[in-house]
Amino acid sequence: MYFVFSIFFPILAGIYLLVRKEVKDRRNLLITVAGALAVTAVLVVLTFFQSGPGMFTLFNLTDRLPLLFKADEVSVIFSIMAVLVFLCAGVFSFEYMKHEKTDGTMSKESHMKEKRYYGFYLVVLGVVIALCFAGNLITFYLFFEILTLSSMPLVLHNGSREAVMAGLKYLFYSLSGAYMSLFGLYFIERYGNTLTFSEGGVISAQAASSHGGILLLTAMLMLVGFGVKAGMFPMHAWLTTAHPVAPAPASAILSAVIVKAGVLAIVRVVYYIFGVSFLKETWVQTVWMVLSLLTIFMGSMLAYREPVLKKRLAYSTVSQLSYILFGLSVMNAGAVTGSLLHVLCHGFIKAALFLCAGAVIYMTGKTKVEELRGIGKEMPLLMWCYTIASLGLIGIPPTGGFISKWYLAEGALSSSMAGFNWIGPVILLVSALLTAGYLLPVTIYGFFPGADFDYENLRKKEPSRLMTIPVLVLTAISVLIGLFPEGVIDYLSRIVVKIM
Amino acid sequence: MDFAQNFPAVSILLCLFAGIISSGLKKKAARFVSMTLIIVVSFLSLWTLFYTIRTGQAFVYVMGKFPAPWGNEIRAGVLEAFMALFFCIIMLLSLEGGRKKLADEVEEGKTFLYYVLSDLLLSSLLALVYTNDLFTAYVFVEINTIAACGLIMIRQNGRTIKASARYMIMSLLGSGLFLMGLCMLYDLTGHLLMSNIKEQAALIYSSGEYRIPLLIVIALMSVGLAIKSALFPFHAWLPDAYGYSTVSSAAILSSLVSKGYIFLLIKIIYRVIGFDIFNSSKIINILFVFGLMGMIFGSLSAIRENDVRRMISFSSVAQIGYIYMGIGMGTQAGIAASMFHILSHAATKSLLFIAAIGLTDVSGGSRKFIELTGAAYRNKWAGAAFTVGSLSMVGVPMFSGFISKLLFAQAAVQNNVKMLPALIVLGISTILNAIYFMKTVIRIYTPPDNGKYESITFKDMRSYTIILIFFILLNVILGVSSQPVVDLIGQGLAMFS
Amino acid sequence: MILLVILIPIVSGALISLVPFKKRGHMELFLEMMVIINSFLVWYLLLHRPADNFTLVNFTGNLSVSFKVDGMSMVFAGLVSTLWPLATLYAFEYMTKEEHEKIFFTFYTMTYGVTLGISLASNLLTMYFFYELLTLITVPLVMHTLTREAILASRKYLYYSLGGAAFAFIGLIFIITYGNTTDFVLGGVLDLEKIGGRTNVLLLIYVIAFMGFGVKAAVCPFNSWLPDAGVAPTPVTALLHAVAVVKSGAFAAIRLTYYSFGTEFLRGTWAQDLLMIIVMFTIVYGCSRAVKETHIKRRLAYSTISNLSYILFGVTIMTPLGMMGALTHLVFHAVMKISSFFCAGAIMHQTGKHYVHELDGMGYKMPCVFGVFTVSSLALMGVPGLAGFVSKWYLASAAVESGNGIAYAGIGCLLISALLTAIYMFTIVIRAFFPVKGYDASVLEGIKDPNWKMLVPLLIFTGNIIMFGFWSAPVVKFLSDVAAGVY
Repeated sequence: MYFVFSIFFPILAGIYLLVRKEVKDRRNLLITVAGALAVTAVLVVLTFFQSGPGMFTLFNLTDRLPLLFKADEVSVIFSIMAVLVFLCAGVFSFEYMKHEKTDGTMSKESHMKEKRYYGFYLVVLGVVIALCFAGNLITFYLFFEILTLSSMPLVLHNGSREAVMAGLKYLFYSLSGAYMSLFGLYFIERYGNTLTFSEGGVISAQAASSHGGILLLTAMLMLVGFGVKAGMFPMHAWLTTAHPVAPAPASAILSAVIVKAGVLAIVRVVYYIFGVSFLKETWVQTVWMVLSLLTIFMGSMLAYREPVLKKRLAYSTVSQLSYILFGLSVMNAGAVTGSLLHVLCHGFIKAALFLCAGAVIYMTGKTKVEELRGIGKEMPLLMWCYTIASLGLIGIPPTGGFISKWYLAEGALSSSMAGFNWIGPVILLVSALLTAGYLLPVTIYGFFPGADFDYENLRKKEPSRLMTIPVLVLTAISVLIGLFPEGVIDYLSRIVVKIM
Repeated sequence: MDFAQNFPAVSILLCLFAGIISSGLKKKAARFVSMTLIIVVSFLSLWTLFYTIRTGQAFVYVMGKFPAPWGNEIRAGVLEAFMALFFCIIMLLSLEGGRKKLADEVEEGKTFLYYVLSDLLLSSLLALVYTNDLFTAYVFVEINTIAACGLIMIRQNGRTIKASARYMIMSLLGSGLFLMGLCMLYDLTGHLLMSNIKEQAALIYSSGEYRIPLLIVIALMSVGLAIKSALFPFHAWLPDAYGYSTVSSAAILSSLVSKGYIFLLIKIIYRVIGFDIFNSSKIINILFVFGLMGMIFGSLSAIRENDVRRMISFSSVAQIGYIYMGIGMGTQAGIAASMFHILSHAATKSLLFIAAIGLTDVSGGSRKFIELTGAAYRNKWAGAAFTVGSLSMVGVPMFSGFISKLLFAQAAVQNNVKMLPALIVLGISTILNAIYFMKTVIRIYTPPDNGKYESITFKDMRSYTIILIFFILLNVILGVSSQPVVDLIGQGLAMFS
Repeated sequence: MILLVILIPIVSGALISLVPFKKRGHMELFLEMMVIINSFLVWYLLLHRPADNFTLVNFTGNLSVSFKVDGMSMVFAGLVSTLWPLATLYAFEYMTKEEHEKIFFTFYTMTYGVTLGISLASNLLTMYFFYELLTLITVPLVMHTLTREAILASRKYLYYSLGGAAFAFIGLIFIITYGNTTDFVLGGVLDLEKIGGRTNVLLLIYVIAFMGFGVKAAVCPFNSWLPDAGVAPTPVTALLHAVAVVKSGAFAAIRLTYYSFGTEFLRGTWAQDLLMIIVMFTIVYGCSRAVKETHIKRRLAYSTISNLSYILFGVTIMTPLGMMGALTHLVFHAVMKISSFFCAGAIMHQTGKHYVHELDGMGYKMPCVFGVFTVSSLALMGVPGLAGFVSKWYLASAAVESGNGIAYAGIGCLLISALLTAIYMFTIVIRAFFPVKGYDASVLEGIKDPNWKMLVPLLIFTGNIIMFGFWSAPVVKFLSDVAAGVY
């Protein structure tokens, strides 16, 4: 039952922060936040060691709609990833958020604003964990909505007009996605007779034959709807607006974790509600594959031409998430394993990248890629992390990214859908090249600024340890997954066996 | 023969005598005679009513013991007696309600004439109600016209003279047509007594001869009476006549005179032509269509109107439309509904006229809407009465208008063809009524910007206020316990045939 | 007893303007006592239902004014009697800044009685009667401020309502003619033999009557009176134009559909399809107008238009489940909308601001009000765990259950409208709590939460919203019993 505490502990802690009248001392605030994060992390990790699937019914919304929590392997994978990223990004923000103060002074007002940030940060953590452990679709939907609402303040944190508009855009895109999927909920409740997640789906053969058409339609709507959060074409536009305007640690969790809520939703809907057998080789699968491939390519292309680093990373997120979605859409063991692994890898890597970008902004105020010449000389440690993480995202061997993409490509090649078994791998490959093309220039210019670079003014600008350690940890994890993949792969294939 | 059977004839004669006597009296005395007369006639009518209800059938009173076909007959049933009673009550209330105004608007020396004319008017109305002889009816139609003209003209200014000239011409046109119809009918049947004509007409009709002349007769009579009762599109005389005459005249004209003609038409339908023959002619459809158009166009004109009295007058056009729509439906229920509406409209419209005068008096005598702002605060009872009248006209439950609307709609449902147009026009006309009446009500309850006009309390106008209260009660009674009245009408119509 | 609960408010309303109260406090005390006593009586009545009709007067023949407590009455009367004392309390505080208080409270209290009359009516005629009366008695409330705008609004309100009633009246006539009785019987009273081949005419009449009652429920295209009527003082807009008056329209539509014409007769006909499409259009239309609107109360009024059509959507599904969904939304929307209106009123009362763009940063100055507003926004959007979700859930389930293609599309409309709801409600919330940098904070000086008379109702409503969200089972059970005809 630890996981129930791990859900409500951070939420309550966050609410406590939000309603607390004032903050006298910033130190106390930070210690509280750090403590809350640590306790949550411990609670989540404890679930990993718990034996047997725990079930916990919190409440009955109506007689047929319980709020149910359940721990299974998918929950564990997602929640551990989430909590680790949150922990790192949280520590990073202790330093970073000094920079977000309106006028640099430590006035009462700015304390309040920071307190608000941490409050929502903790709430979001709790909600993400709740999503991981949600045992049925309605619980999932509930926390999905709350996730949108509680993460929105992180987006519009700095209060500029641009940020507020981005926050609204994020809100409305996410809500429209949520409502599309709510449409499906009604029908599943009726024809599936339950909303509880169960391996292999809940749609009976009878319902599938009598109401197949409308059920496929709802499946499509739910895919597109939840796909909004995961930045899938055609509803991806919010992501590249909202992620860059948030403070860097917030961008990190948005890009690394919160979008994964969309992925998790799709995993749950496809593999735990509709079931592979119902969706495989239908028009829904085709459309889905097309959409995700389109998104992969488009995301990479847009990232390639984007000059602002954080925006470039946001486009990269769009593209990389669709790797995951594509893997899921292939619906065979290899691809799904690859997808789930990529969830982890992308989570750690993208968090690391965003934190790097944040550190650069924090120290130098530079946001565009072309301004970053010689940055590697200024902050070598950070840039090494950046480079290693980039390699991971491109899929160069010693990192986790390589393993996940390997599985993805392998799964795609063996896809039963004619045509996709070669188009898929080709696009993956092209996109990997593009990834290299948009990520590596930073490294290249950073370390090799060219002959005309002015070395005179160069100073060491390595940020404080509060910033470097989280980045290091995240990078290290992504490399470790690449070096020792067996344990993780085993764990994932256990999931895959159950749901296929 | 029972003693009570003399009453109808006596009351007509009493009215005539009273008129003659009053012409030699002073103002006060004339008024006293007139009031006494109306009260006496009311009692007589009431007595007749009870008598007919008790005996359960109509009786025929032969004037001067000359038997038909030469003699003149009077026939009284439940409906006739009831109408007579009702007319008397309205007349009394209207005269009394407008008395103060009368003193202002009519020359001191001519006031007694007013009472003379109203006595004559009452006598003609009673005659129209009671007579069983078509020619007598014609004679009294003319007396009625002349008396009515006098009532309009007695407030001597340019507008009323013009209005009464117009009224005179239109009315005479109407009675001319009626007379022509009468002649043709006499030619066809050789009778003037209603019951005799009906027998003959039925014979002629069943033999199949003279179909066209009979049709023309029906057309002439209907149109003649329709002109006189201001059915759309023959209503051109009405707004001026009602709008500019002194208030009692307007109330009497709108609620009694035109209703008298309609009652006569209904009598002709039942007692002269025969209900079935009338229904089989196409005239009925024309009446129906004109009725519907009247409902709409009357209201539309009223909405455009900027003068409260004229607005109420135009509303009469619409209400007459209702009545003709009921007649045009060609069912017993339709006629019954029309009869009820005659009553409820009489009660409501005179109330509105009388209340409007109270409102304009406290607004510097102006009848423009803008001046009426807040009038209801200055004269509370008039405001309340106007509101009640308006609500009744709009057809809000608890007031008489609602019951007529209900009866009309119920009657409409029985006729497959005319159902939808009737119902839809009923709905639209309700909205239109609501627009102009409620606009006025809201206007009079809007407080004015300044205290330009003085307000009036109960004590200042005691008798006026009491009259208004009576009117309100009458409306509410008709609205709440309409069942006895509806029963009476049903019983009366049954006695017609 | 039934008559008593209708008369007490009417009489005490009249007393207010007649009796010269020495102090304002005395009047408040008297009024609040009367309203509370009456509410208790209503609840007593609902819990100990008299078995038979109580007839007041006979109009003509079989038409009478009579009352009875059945399931539907229990729902509506219970709702109204619960909300009224709270709304009155709120009004005391709100009206301190308005004039002509006595007249206001006179009509305000009288409306209570009339609304109860609608809910307790046992036949169509009685309901129609009180329905008209409701129009008339609420006009002075709309007119209250006596500005030109208010007078125009009240005129419009009056024309629309009376006009609607005129067409509903046609339906009444047909029920009188073709029904066995005008009493409300679940399942309808039509006599199929009398109808014979005139099914289509009757369906047409049903549509006309439905739209007629729909005027009060602000069905498009007859909705424009509602936003205009927002010029009335906020207690009126909140209680009457979000609950009593407009819900009377919806209530009447339910009565007409389920208790008079009967769903057996109507289901699967063109009339059902037509109405459903109109209602669906209204749902989306209301929301999109709300998004455009910048005046807070008008925005909420458009939101009401859309939400009322949710109820009517439930009605047009024409299954017991649909009726239950409609009733659930009828109750829950009342609570949600009244609380958001009261928030708007509190804002206007405390700050005099009327427009959305004036609310920057106000959330920190009036945390309670905006907290409540946020909760009600979330509920209106249909976030699970709050009341709005439950009612939408049942509406959508009913639509799915019915298997009607148009109803499926209706679910889509509900969701689009939910999104639009999020847009128009959350732009307010975000402005209040997350103002754009550089807003003018100086205008917010001295603004604070209103006093207890306003806050208590707000907090109670919020509590209810949350409670119904998590623990709706008893209410829903009761409502589904009503829809199934248990009561």
